Amino acid sequence: MTLLDLRDVTKRFGGLQAVGGVSLGVVQGEVLGLFGPNGAGKTTLFNLIAGSFPPDAGSIRFAGQDVTRLPAWRRARLGLARTFQVTRPFRDLTARENVLAAVPRRGSTTPAAPAARLLAEVGLDGRADDRAGDLTLGMLKRLEVARALATDPLLLLLDEPLAGLTGREAADLLALVVRLKSRLGIVIVEHNVRQCLPVCDRAVVMEGGVVIASGLPDAIRTDPRVIRAYLGQEAAE
Amino acid sequence: MSGRALRTVLPGLLLIAALALLAASLPAFGASRYAQTLVYYLAYDIVLGQSWNLMSGMTGYVSFAHGALAGLGAYATVIAMNAGWPVPAALAGGCLASVAGSFVVGASSLRLRGVAFTFATLFFQQLALLILRKLPLSGGPGGLALQDILPLALPQILMVALAALATAGVLILRRSRLGIRLLAIREDEDAAAALGIGVTRLKLGVFCASAAIAGAAGAAHGLFTASLYPDDVFSVDVSLTALAVPMIGGMATAGGPVAGAALLVGIGELLQIFAPSLHLVVIGALLLAVVLFMPRGLLPFLAAPLRRLSAAPQPAAERGTAP
Ligand SMILES: Nc1ncnc2c1ncn2[C@@H]1O[C@H](COP(=O)(O)OP(=O)(O)OP(=O)(O)O)[C@@H](O)[C@H]1O
Ligand SMILES: [Mg+2]
Repeated sequence: MTLLDLRDVTKRFGGLQAVGGVSLGVVQGEVLGLFGPNGAGKTTLFNLIAGSFPPDAGSIRFAGQDVTRLPAWRRARLGLARTFQVTRPFRDLTARENVLAAVPRRGSTTPAAPAARLLAEVGLDGRADDRAGDLTLGMLKRLEVARALATDPLLLLLDEPLAGLTGREAADLLALVVRLKSRLGIVIVEHNVRQCLPVCDRAVVMEGGVVIASGLPDAIRTDPRVIRAYLGQEAAE
Repeated sequence: MSGRALRTVLPGLLLIAALALLAASLPAFGASRYAQTLVYYLAYDIVLGQSWNLMSGMTGYVSFAHGALAGLGAYATVIAMNAGWPVPAALAGGCLASVAGSFVVGASSLRLRGVAFTFATLFFQQLALLILRKLPLSGGPGGLALQDILPLALPQILMVALAALATAGVLILRRSRLGIRLLAIREDEDAAAALGIGVTRLKLGVFCASAAIAGAAGAAHGLFTASLYPDDVFSVDVSLTALAVPMIGGMATAGGPVAGAALLVGIGELLQIFAPSLHLVVIGALLLAVVLFMPRGLLPFLAAPLRRLSAAPQPAAERGTAP
């Protein structure tokens, strides 16, 4: 089932075209890797999908509905969840309360997972009663994921979820992504392409606001345009 | 709310009920007229404070209109009583008038973030005074008197009951998902929206609920004073009291406004004796001191070292809240 369908989505900030005519789709049960160098427009694309601001042109369909003009909270109620690259915890609330704040998607059939279980799933059991403002960056990254999952989403947008995590924590989170994907679609933005690519079913590479390559992970790995875009960073791989 | 959450608030609810019963039965114990009046004003300040706390303490949107909202409730109730309405209907009318006022203010300004709401409430506070001074229905600048004087026990018991209900309401809210969502709005509206929280609607809804409480306080107070002068009823003092009570005692907690009201009423009485003209100056200084040295208010400030001392981890919802 197609969850997400973007057509020619464009966003300008003043003179800068942050996202220029991006079209892509995500189906249930797949993990789509979204890669690209700094400033490629990945986070802006997430903001457009999640409804932080409307696109200047193009359309966004989600779960069979045109959501192009829908505010963020309505999209979340439809089952669109996202994490923030720069974490945005409710600092004065506990980790548990951060998770409890989430409103489950409308028509959610699975009974709301208890906050304790969601926190355990991201390895934050034992931190449930800590003030979110007192958690480390790696913990906050994982709290973002637990909080997003508390909405029982159909589609999960993860913006650099591995940044700030230890190797072990990152491996655990990627294992969680694999466990989750039977139930939902996942888009994952990561700079650590090498670590992330193995869990991806497909990958899209952006540069300068446009998609420069897309396809199976193996094809992406060897695509000359991608290697050029990542020159100095990933070219050696 | 879950059974566990209910168990954590039960002692608080029992304490509130016991204190309210005690306050309501003061006349039966032969308490002096003075003591009864003092308790009445304590209850009045608690209701005003909890009503402000519900909106501004929880969501962080500072209101200067709670005095005017209470004033609307007072005027509507007294006008309805004079038109021959039964007391419950007149009280309901008072609440409704406040809710209508809050809806206009909120619907026009809560779409925006930041100070737009605060300015809208200030504007409303002043506008209400101007209109009530001019309106023939409200008796103009000369004010309005309640024609059939009711026994004082009625507004007294009513105010105590409102204080208990409002405090219990905040106590339960603080431990509910709804309360957590309001705090989430205070912390980060974009993150709240990303979690499916309808931020604008929720702010507007809670502002209207908060106005209903302010309106009820005003309505009961209208029955208590039995005469309304626009310059008193819509004086910004009432709005400042509604704000000072939780800010001093502790915002987004159930106990904070109770402590804040007790402190303010106590200080008010002392100043009445020693330096009546200094009232606002002292309240202002107190607010400044609180903002500078204990931004969360008195109760959380006092509770913090106790919490650090106790080695046992605290239950989730216990944090940042007063007993
Ligand atoms: N709110 C904004 N206002 C103005 N310019 C913005 C805004 N958000 C992003 N940009 C610009 O748009 C371009 C794309 O930024 P974006 O954050 O989407 O990139 P990214 O691919 O997520 O990069 P990174 O890997 O560093 O997170 C950048 O040039 C950025 O400076
Ligand atoms: Mg980014």
